[in-house]
Amino acid sequence: MESRFKIVGQDVPRTDAEVKARGKALYTDDMKLPGMLHGQILRSPLAHARIKHIDTRRALGLPGVKAVITGQDTPKIKYGNWRLFPDTQDEYPLAVDKVRFIGDEVAAVAAIDRDTAEEAMELIEVEYEELPAVFDVDLSIKPGAPVIHDYCPTNISVNRKIKYGDVEKGFAESDYVREDIFNTHSVSHAYLEPCSALAQVDLDGRITLWTSTQVPYIVQCLLASTLNMRENDIRVIKPFVGGGFGGKMELRAWEFCAAFLARQTGCPVKFTLTREEEFITGRRRHPMKIYSKVGFRKDGTLVAKDLKIQLDGGAYNAMGPTATFLCGNFGAMLYRYPNYRFHGEHIYTNKPPASAMRGFGAPQSLYATEIQMNMAAEELGIDPIDLRLKNAQVSGDEIPDVATISSSGFIDCIKAVAEMSDWKEKRKSLPAGRGIGIGCYSFISGGVFNWFNTQYPFSAAEVRVFSDGTAHLLTMASDIGQGSDTVLKQILAEELGLKMGDIRMTSADTSMTPQADLGSWGSRVTLMAGNAVIDAAKKIKEPLFGAVSARFNLNVIHDIECVNGRVQSKSRPDYGLTFGEAVAMVQKANRGEPLVARGSYTPRGKGLVTPAFGFGAQVAEVDVDKETGLVEVKHMWTAHDCGTVINPRSVEGQLAGSIQMGLGYALSEQFVMDGGKTLNTNFVDYKMPTASDMPPSELFHVETYEPEGPMGAKEAGEGLASPTAPAISDAVYHATGYRCMDLPITPEKILRNLKKNK
Amino acid sequence: MRLPKFEYFEPETLEEALRLLAEWRERVCVLAGGTDVLVKMRNGRLKPGAVIALERISSLNGIGFDLRKGLTIGAGAKLSDVTSHPDILRYYPAIARAARVMANVQVRNMGTIGGNLCNAAPSAENAPPLMALGAVVTAASLEEERRITLDDFFRGPGLTAMKPEEIMTSIFVPTPPANSGASYQRISARCGVDIAAVSVGAMIMIEDTVCREVRIALGAVAPVPMRALSAEAFLKEKVWSEEFLREAARISADESRPISDVRASLEFRKQMVAVMTQRALEEAYGRAIKR
Ligand SMILES: Cc1cc2nc3c(=O)[nH]c(=O)nc-3n(C[C@H](O)[C@H](O)[C@H](O)COP(=O)(O)OP(=O)(O)OC[C@H]3O[C@@H](n4cnc5c(N)ncnc54)[C@H](O)[C@@H]3O)c2cc1C
Repeated sequence: MESRFKIVGQDVPRTDAEVKARGKALYTDDMKLPGMLHGQILRSPLAHARIKHIDTRRALGLPGVKAVITGQDTPKIKYGNWRLFPDTQDEYPLAVDKVRFIGDEVAAVAAIDRDTAEEAMELIEVEYEELPAVFDVDLSIKPGAPVIHDYCPTNISVNRKIKYGDVEKGFAESDYVREDIFNTHSVSHAYLEPCSALAQVDLDGRITLWTSTQVPYIVQCLLASTLNMRENDIRVIKPFVGGGFGGKMELRAWEFCAAFLARQTGCPVKFTLTREEEFITGRRRHPMKIYSKVGFRKDGTLVAKDLKIQLDGGAYNAMGPTATFLCGNFGAMLYRYPNYRFHGEHIYTNKPPASAMRGFGAPQSLYATEIQMNMAAEELGIDPIDLRLKNAQVSGDEIPDVATISSSGFIDCIKAVAEMSDWKEKRKSLPAGRGIGIGCYSFISGGVFNWFNTQYPFSAAEVRVFSDGTAHLLTMASDIGQGSDTVLKQILAEELGLKMGDIRMTSADTSMTPQADLGSWGSRVTLMAGNAVIDAAKKIKEPLFGAVSARFNLNVIHDIECVNGRVQSKSRPDYGLTFGEAVAMVQKANRGEPLVARGSYTPRGKGLVTPAFGFGAQVAEVDVDKETGLVEVKHMWTAHDCGTVINPRSVEGQLAGSIQMGLGYALSEQFVMDGGKTLNTNFVDYKMPTASDMPPSELFHVETYEPEGPMGAKEAGEGLASPTAPAISDAVYHATGYRCMDLPITPEKILRNLKKNK
Repeated sequence: MRLPKFEYFEPETLEEALRLLAEWRERVCVLAGGTDVLVKMRNGRLKPGAVIALERISSLNGIGFDLRKGLTIGAGAKLSDVTSHPDILRYYPAIARAARVMANVQVRNMGTIGGNLCNAAPSAENAPPLMALGAVVTAASLEEERRITLDDFFRGPGLTAMKPEEIMTSIFVPTPPANSGASYQRISARCGVDIAAVSVGAMIMIEDTVCREVRIALGAVAPVPMRALSAEAFLKEKVWSEEFLREAARISADESRPISDVRASLEFRKQMVAVMTQRALEEAYGRAIKR
């Protein structure tokens, strides 16, 4: 079939590829401004303590130190991403009364260079009164446990319940019911670019902040509120960003400190975290304790599911509330559950805060879903593939209170991946030590729930067109390495019939690009910002079509299109103008006014969760060394449905990155903790897989057309983060008989289990 | 962290280096590839008053092989040179392997074999195969040049038998006896860039299916790289068999003294000593009977 698109769906090279490959891309830490000072943050060495006194005099006396601040110097305004529920905003930029985890920010220094700032750290004297700390969710919710935030005496900061159908009745009607408990662990985003922020104050006292963030708009708003300034007095610019994966989607202490210290000293101030700081104090994926009970009929039809999840949130809410809500939704996605109940609790502990991380709760909750499906399949005597086919969500399915699934290629994904991997044969005939396993996913294409309480559209775009045949696209959408700049350009080029090179792009600058964009998370950008671009492009096309129609005196029934740099009648292409000529005509007609249009997208009438769902299935084949317990992943097969594939290579990149992260999540990555202290704080001991660990992999796109998406597209970024761990885990079970109920799958666990089975 | 202030010297001869060393005594630090030294200086664990770089002393960097005597590796030879040297690849594959599987390309291009030994980490990658092959190092001071067997070299984590005024000049490995083979095995959680959780070097000489000589060295399972002497004694003069092999592996696990740390637990390490010992002996045996 010939594609209906010219640029969408093509292997268009990423606009940032060359500059990154050449090492010329400028990241925040590459920037230097005249007179710039270097900042450093003093962090708590204790997991829970009251701050009794801070003496900064010696640090201030050190030559080269320009300013030292503590929480007492700041406006002491709490912040958090859930502006809609101010109670949940539980964090001060610098600790005011208490520290709640090892690494909590206590003071900040600005000095003439980094070394001096570091030296000053050692001269700040903090007197703490140590408090009992708690590192485990079970202990944290026990009566009498240390209270971590005064506003929340139970330590349970979010309680989320969902219910539809009648779960008890469902279980009573089931032929087969099983209950399991799964535990998942914490891992690091481990983005290659550590966080960095540079602030400058202009003559009017307004602040410009360059920062490595996924959410310039959120940083702008929360920085304004914590500094007690007006939003419009803060300008946030996102330079190149070396990955975020959810770890850069909040205002962070160093962004505040850079701005505050820049205002106080009158000099630009930059903070850049070290990798050790990232590992010790950076956000991380939520560990979860997942209780899941499912009921089936004999033939494998799902009848009911009861899901309880406790999220170990660490010391602050961060994006935990959203993860808690989403876990409840992920629990009801992927398969049809006529009766469903969910109870999620977000629990404080004195550990570094967990937050959003690629998949936003799905890798954890789907690990339970998928492993449990396989366990049930075995006991029901049904092939895991067939059990999934029987229960898979299809287009038109309704998830009560959530949404109607407007497009689902899930069944085709399962079938495709089974065929690619030769599933039926391998599941029967692989030798001992070899195994094959499956994991599937469904994911949201952006969120509907307006927890940030923005008064703006969720995404916006401005398009300016010129008589030289070029266009300028402005959007606050943030390319953090996922490639949104390229994809949004592709969408605009397609709509206007231009080439990629005809489009100038300005993105992610809160004072120059149209309000607003909620940021790059939740796999929202392609769908939401893409729709905003199309909306703007349509408004550009209207007057262009009018100009052509008038110029050639076209009958009103003529269909006009923008194609190949021209604006022309579809049936009579000779009735047309070049794009630039058409723009010039519109300008003339408007006495010189430039042709500019604004577009926006906000999901409406799309339920409470997401406008569209991505789906996919993945099979892993592994080889387990029965003497060492080491798992080698030999091959991965993936079939997925992201609607229209806008940029195939970007999607392949997302897949490769997801497999790499999934591999680490399943097999090698974990924080080694001693109470609240992180022990493995470098990449030698934090075992992120390397290029040589990557298995060969094959990908199949199941093409669907998502009516709500731009040109039929939906998410391709985060859903893929979920299937890898369950697929590998199931393959390890197939190879060895070891069923992993608590991630990660370590050699020691495999060996212990092999011994037991002997 | 800020590098402390220090004097920096780049002598071109060994003699000059030794003189500087004698002059500065305890407050000095020798720098080879710097892949251990600079990490320690940056995080403040090492604060020398002077640093003496060895890189310009070309007499320390060579690799020479004489079939009748053996292999001499300059202490300053880069790990990447060790892994690619044709004689090492041919006659000492276990040594080549240890240097090849450690760290990553950049570190192997900078780091030296002498630095790896002098740094004396319990997990020092090159130690087990060199010990198994009976390596002897040469240490030079202004007064004398002396030879120290690698068995006597390691004294504790970060501690060696060398005196502060000495520089390691070379590592000598005798030509492996006829009918012998050696192997290096390690385990770690990931393919690239990883410190071994357990490593084993083994050398075995076979005559008419009898193990005439056996040397087994273990890494990362004691405060220093260590010989598995009981396992060696058990296997010596025995007729090669699956059963004895397994028993020797078990004995070497027994005599290892690992700890639990962020990289692995004590129990897992012991188990892996047995597995790695068995695999090392098997591969060494396979090479021995081929030659
Ligand atoms: C990312 C990374 C990964 C690593 N992975 C591994 C690994 O997998 N396995 C492993 O074993 N090691 C590993 N290392 C450690 C290190 O790279 C090796 O120990 C390396 O061989 C050290 O050699 P160097 O020349 O860099 O030593 P340097 O850092 O220059 O010196 C190390 C020590 O030896 C002393 N020294 C050096 N040469 C002499 C000499 N001729 N005479 C006397 N004293 C001397 C120095 O004073 C210093 O105390 C890793 C290091 C890094 C940074």
